Amino acid sequence: MQFRLEKRREPSQFMLYATPVAAVALTMIVGAIIFSLIGYDGVGAVREIFLTPLTNAYKWQDLGVKAAPLIIIGVGLSIAYRANVWNIGAEGQYVIGGLAGTGIALLTYGMTGWWILPLMVLAGMLGGMAYAAIPALLRTRLNVNEILTSLMLTYASVQLIYYLIRAPWKDPMGMGFPQTRLFSEAARLPFIIPGTIVHLGVPIAVVVGLVAWFIMTRSVFGYRMRVVGAAPHAARYGGFSEHKTIWLALLVSGALAGLAGVLEVAGPFQRMVPGFPTNYGFTAIIVAFLGRLNPLGVIVAGVVLAITFVGGEVAQTTIGLPNAATGIFQAMMLFFLLAGDILIKYRVRRVVPQPSQGAA
Amino acid sequence: MTLSRRNFVKVGGAAMALPLLGSSAFAQLEKVKVGFIYVGTINDNGYNYAHNQGRLYVEEHLGDKVETIYVENVPEGPDCERVLRELAQQGCNLIFATSFGFGDSVVKVAPQFPDVAFEHATGYMSGPNIGLYNARFYEGRAVCGTIAGHMSETGKYGYIGSFPIPEVVMGINAFVLAARKVNPDATIKPVYISTWNDPAKEADAARAMIDQGIDVIAQHTDGPAALQVAAERGIVGGFGQGADMSAFAPETQLTAIIDHWGPHYLASAEAVLAGTWVPGNTWEGLKEDVVQMGPYGAKVPADVVAAAEAMRTGQIDGSVHIFTGPINDNTGVERVPAGTTMTDAELLSMDWYVEGVEQPA
Repeated sequence: MQFRLEKRREPSQFMLYATPVAAVALTMIVGAIIFSLIGYDGVGAVREIFLTPLTNAYKWQDLGVKAAPLIIIGVGLSIAYRANVWNIGAEGQYVIGGLAGTGIALLTYGMTGWWILPLMVLAGMLGGMAYAAIPALLRTRLNVNEILTSLMLTYASVQLIYYLIRAPWKDPMGMGFPQTRLFSEAARLPFIIPGTIVHLGVPIAVVVGLVAWFIMTRSVFGYRMRVVGAAPHAARYGGFSEHKTIWLALLVSGALAGLAGVLEVAGPFQRMVPGFPTNYGFTAIIVAFLGRLNPLGVIVAGVVLAITFVGGEVAQTTIGLPNAATGIFQAMMLFFLLAGDILIKYRVRRVVPQPSQGAA
Repeated sequence: MTLSRRNFVKVGGAAMALPLLGSSAFAQLEKVKVGFIYVGTINDNGYNYAHNQGRLYVEEHLGDKVETIYVENVPEGPDCERVLRELAQQGCNLIFATSFGFGDSVVKVAPQFPDVAFEHATGYMSGPNIGLYNARFYEGRAVCGTIAGHMSETGKYGYIGSFPIPEVVMGINAFVLAARKVNPDATIKPVYISTWNDPAKEADAARAMIDQGIDVIAQHTDGPAALQVAAERGIVGGFGQGADMSAFAPETQLTAIIDHWGPHYLASAEAVLAGTWVPGNTWEGLKEDVVQMGPYGAKVPADVVAAAEAMRTGQIDGSVHIFTGPINDNTGVERVPAGTTMTDAELLSMDWYVEGVEQPA
C-alpha cells in the first residue's frame, strides 16, 4: 500500500490557526505517554513543565525575562521568513549585537548619562544588521545560499567573543577569568518592577511585536514581504526587486537579533561572559514558526517556549525529570507543527497500483 | 497547585515578603533539604558525576534526615540565577553551586534568601551566607606529572583547559613542575577551549596536540573525550579527571584524579541540621581524602608506581609541596626562591606559567 501527498486547492483558514494550538496539545499528550512509558510521572512532567510556570506567580518574572529575547528575535525572523529569506544565523547576529553594546559600555565605563543606554542599543542593532549584511551581500552578489552563510557566521561570532574577553576586554579584577568587567550603572538596563528581575527589555519585546504587526499588515513594506514570499513571480511583475527584499529581510531580522543581544547583555548579564550565547537565536526559529510568522503570534509563542524552559527546571527539581526532557518537548512541538502544516497544505491519498497490462 | 485566588495571593505575598526577611540566624532542623546545581550532566563520568556521587554519599549517610535535589546542565549565566531561586523556593536549606562560573549568580541570589546556606565550589566571592569550598587538585596533578615525566618518550605533554583561571593555571604548573623533576627538558602545551564540557571540542584539541607530537595528555575539562582520543591514537597515555575513567580507556588511563566531595557535603549538611553552619572557606586535598588517586594503569611500571606513590604520600605527610622554590616562570625569571613555598593566597591568584609551559595563545 502506498500513499502520496496531493496539494489542497484551498488550505483551511481555521486549521492554519488551530495547528499551533493542536501542536502544543499533542506535545503534552504524547509527552505524557512517552515519559510514563520510560518510568517517569508523565502527567506530572507535563503539569510541571507547562502549568507550574503559569500558576506560580513567582515564576512570571522568569517567563518575561526568558521570553523577551525569544520574542524580539522571533519577530525579526518571522518577517524574513515571510519573504522566504532563511536567516538561520540570528544567534550570530544576537552575539554581535551584544558585543557592540559591550563595546560602548566599556568605552563609557565609569561615566554617567542617560545617553549611554540608547547609544548601546543603537550600536547593538547596527552590529546585528552589519553581521546580517554579510549573508545578504553573498546571496545577492554571488548567489550563495543564506542558510549556510548565516549559520556558519554564528560560529565565527562565538570565537570573536572568546578573543575579545581573553585579551583586550578582559576584566582586570576577574582572577584571570575571561569576562569583561561589570558594566557601570548607566550601562545597565533598569528594572521596571521593583523587587523582581523584570527589566526594560520585557516591555520593549512586546512593543517590538506590536509595531512589527502593524507594519506587516498596514504598510507597503509589509505587503512587499508578504507578496514576495507568497508569490515571487507576481511580486516581480509588481516591480518589487528580489534583491532589495533579501536585503531588507536580512537587515531587519539582523537588527532585531542585535537588539535582543544588547538588551540581554545590558540586562541579565551586565557583562560579557563566555556563556553569553545561549541559543536564543536558534530557539527563536521555533518561536517564529509556532507563532505562524505573525508578530502577534510570535509574542504568544515566545511565552510558550519560555514556559518550557522555566518548567523544565521545575520538573527537574520536583520530579527528577532529566534536563534533556525540555529539549524533547520543544522538538516535539516543532515536529507536530510542521507535520500539521503538511496536512493543511496537502491531503494524503492512497495510491492504488494499476495492474500492468502485460502480466495479465 | 491550582490557580485559585487564594493561592495566587498566598504565593505572590510570599514572593514579595522574601527579600524582607532579614534574619540570618540558622535554626536547628529536623530534616535538611539540599540542592545541587551542575554545569554539565551527571553522566559525564567526570567532574559533574563526581559531585553527584557526593550528593548520593550525603543521602546514604543521612538517610531520611535529608532530601536532595539537583539540576544539571545549568548555564553559567543569568539562567543560573533562576535555578538558584527555584531551589531556594523549593525549600532547600543548603545549596551547592558546583562550578566557578556560577559565582555572579550566587552573589546576586544569596542575599534574597538569608536563611539559606549557599556554598560555591572553586570560587572566590563569599558573603554572610555564602561559603566557599575547593579541593587541592594540584596535588593530584603533581602525581600525574610524575608519571608523565617517567613514561613520556617525547617529553611533550598536552593539557586541555577550559579557561585560564588560577585553578587551571596552577594545575598545569603543578603537572609540569613534577614532570620536570624527572625530565628537566619536559614541556607542556596548554589549549583553552572556553567550556567545561564539550566532548567534540575536547577531542579536537586532543587530536591537534597529538598531531604536534605530544604523547601524554591531561585535561581540566569534565569528560573522558581526551582520554578516548589518546586510546584511539595509541599515545603513551592520559589521566582520568574528576573520576576514574578507566572504563573508557582501560589501556590508556595511567591514573585518575578522583574528586571525593562526599565528606565535605556531609559535614555541611550536618552543620545545617545542627544549626551550626557558618560560611567556611575550605581547601582540602589528598590528606583529607577530598582528592584521591585512581588505580594505576597496567602499563605503568613498578618503579614509576613507586615514584608516583612517593609523590602522593609525600604530599599527605607534608614533606613535599610541589610549589616549593626554586621556581622560574616561563620567561626565565625566578618567581619563588629556593626553600620558599608559595602561600595559598599566592596559589589562588596564580596567573603566570612555570618554566616548561608553552605560552598559550
